[in-house]
Amino acid sequence: MQLILNILVSFSLLLIVSFSFHQLYQVAKFFHLAHAVTITFGAYFTYLFSVQLGWSLCIAITLAIICAVVIPAMMEILIYKPLRNQGTSSWKMLIASLGLYVILQNLISMFWGDDTKSIRTWSVKTGHNFFGAYITDVQIITIAVSVMLFVGVLLFLRFASLGKQIRAVSSNEELSNIFGISSDRVILWGFIIGSTLAAIAGILIALDTDMTPTMGFHVLLYAVVAMIIGGVGSSKGLIGGALLLATAQHLSAYYIDSKWMDATAYIILILFLIWKPLGFSGKRLKKVEI
Amino acid sequence: MEYILHLLIFISIYIILAQSLSLTAGFSGLISLAHVGFYGVGAYTTAILSVNYGIPFLVTLPLAMLLSGLIAIVVSTISLRTVDDYFIIITLGIQVVVFSVMNNWQVLTRGPLGIPGIPSIKILGFPFDTKISFLLLSLFFVGIVWFLLNNISRSPFGRVLIALSEDEIFTKSLGKNVYKAKIISFTISAMFASIAGVLYAHYISYIDPTSFTINESIFILSIVIIGGMRNLWKIALAAAFLVLLPEALRFVGMPNSIAANMRQIIYGIVLIMVIFKNSDNFKSRSSFYTS
Repeated sequence: MQLILNILVSFSLLLIVSFSFHQLYQVAKFFHLAHAVTITFGAYFTYLFSVQLGWSLCIAITLAIICAVVIPAMMEILIYKPLRNQGTSSWKMLIASLGLYVILQNLISMFWGDDTKSIRTWSVKTGHNFFGAYITDVQIITIAVSVMLFVGVLLFLRFASLGKQIRAVSSNEELSNIFGISSDRVILWGFIIGSTLAAIAGILIALDTDMTPTMGFHVLLYAVVAMIIGGVGSSKGLIGGALLLATAQHLSAYYIDSKWMDATAYIILILFLIWKPLGFSGKRLKKVEI
Repeated sequence: MEYILHLLIFISIYIILAQSLSLTAGFSGLISLAHVGFYGVGAYTTAILSVNYGIPFLVTLPLAMLLSGLIAIVVSTISLRTVDDYFIIITLGIQVVVFSVMNNWQVLTRGPLGIPGIPSIKILGFPFDTKISFLLLSLFFVGIVWFLLNNISRSPFGRVLIALSEDEIFTKSLGKNVYKAKIISFTISAMFASIAGVLYAHYISYIDPTSFTINESIFILSIVIIGGMRNLWKIALAAAFLVLLPEALRFVGMPNSIAANMRQIIYGIVLIMVIFKNSDNFKSRSSFYTS
């Protein structure tokens, strides 16, 4: 039972991170790896405002999300947009985002240090007993918030006007430009929405476990694996991918050792590439099928 | 003087790494972030064999190359089922797995403690324990790798690689086995990377997993990108430039605690600047006819 609860908690975190990354990928059409730093910034800004400046947690979290979202929005405006206008191919955008990740991650280590930080000022409780398993308040909040955000953003994409524009741009950018949708503006909104989700995920992770400057990258790598397993271009596939990955990781942590969780994630990815290269569902990864 | 020799040795190790990566990333257009993984495989193979069993350098070097070649064949057969951005992500994954093996298989690699006391290289009774002799040895290997890569890139096989990086489907239609060519180029480059790893392990005489992280992969990739992907001369110059650049920080008087981070930040900035400057397909414009 404890295992199932643990799987559920990491599933919901994984789901929200991979959903946010997927959202960005759909709109911007490249792997924005600096997304990792958004997750980390969410956590560290909360630490800055709530612990170092001593403000209340609610204000701190709100401000932290805003600050963590402004950074990727600036990236999009200052770096990705000019690159895109020059017609840079997507792997070069990926490398540029890796460069951005390296810069920002090292800035975080310079300001806050490499050691583990915690925003939990309250004392550790044992948590609620739930059919013989223990679950803490933070974990309940994590599951609830992730599911709510996932459903909320899906509904937003389906029904709101901006959401429809985002879907239009992700399916065909040129055609939506012809119909008068400014793709630059929509991509910026995609960045804002995706980064908001990522920052919230970062804060939830930091509340549950603690934070280090590289935490974002670890989470993001899992999320990318979940996204590829699930198949790019389908939100249902994301649920399946995240669920499978979380289950496999916790089973391997339970039966083998928790230090092999990274390797497990990638071994699953490799197995998928061998037997089901398209993921649960989704588009082809090959250039052309002959 | 010792300091300058030390820098020159590092430059030659990075020249080997960057030029071998250029075979996959530049010539066949497969951007790989797993290169440091093979560098680490080479370093760990030679360290474990020479510390635990006292096997000499002339035996460990071929063994290291063989091992990383085998790993590369297995890994590339699987990961080359994907293309472009997905391939980059898969290689990132391979790098993470290799790092986690180095960090967690404590029986074999001693985990984060690292392997100390790797003996210096001895060939036929002649010890390479001074810096100047080690520099000559590593320059010898740079020469070999450079010569081989230069020949490979001019050979018919090299032409196939260039062709498939420009238009994969067209190369296929000419009857070339694209998949096999990709695997071979990935494997050769992994084997050369393990030479650099062997040299590094014997030179520093202590290795731990932190030398083989993803940041190092990004660093080597930025050398290749700055060097113009396919131009071996320019890649050598770029390696020298990027190794020497953070050394300038020492003379500015940067405190040691932030120097490592500043180094990474400088690499990141240089990388972004180069991508900005060369963004109009520097890949296909490079030395197709001249080299």
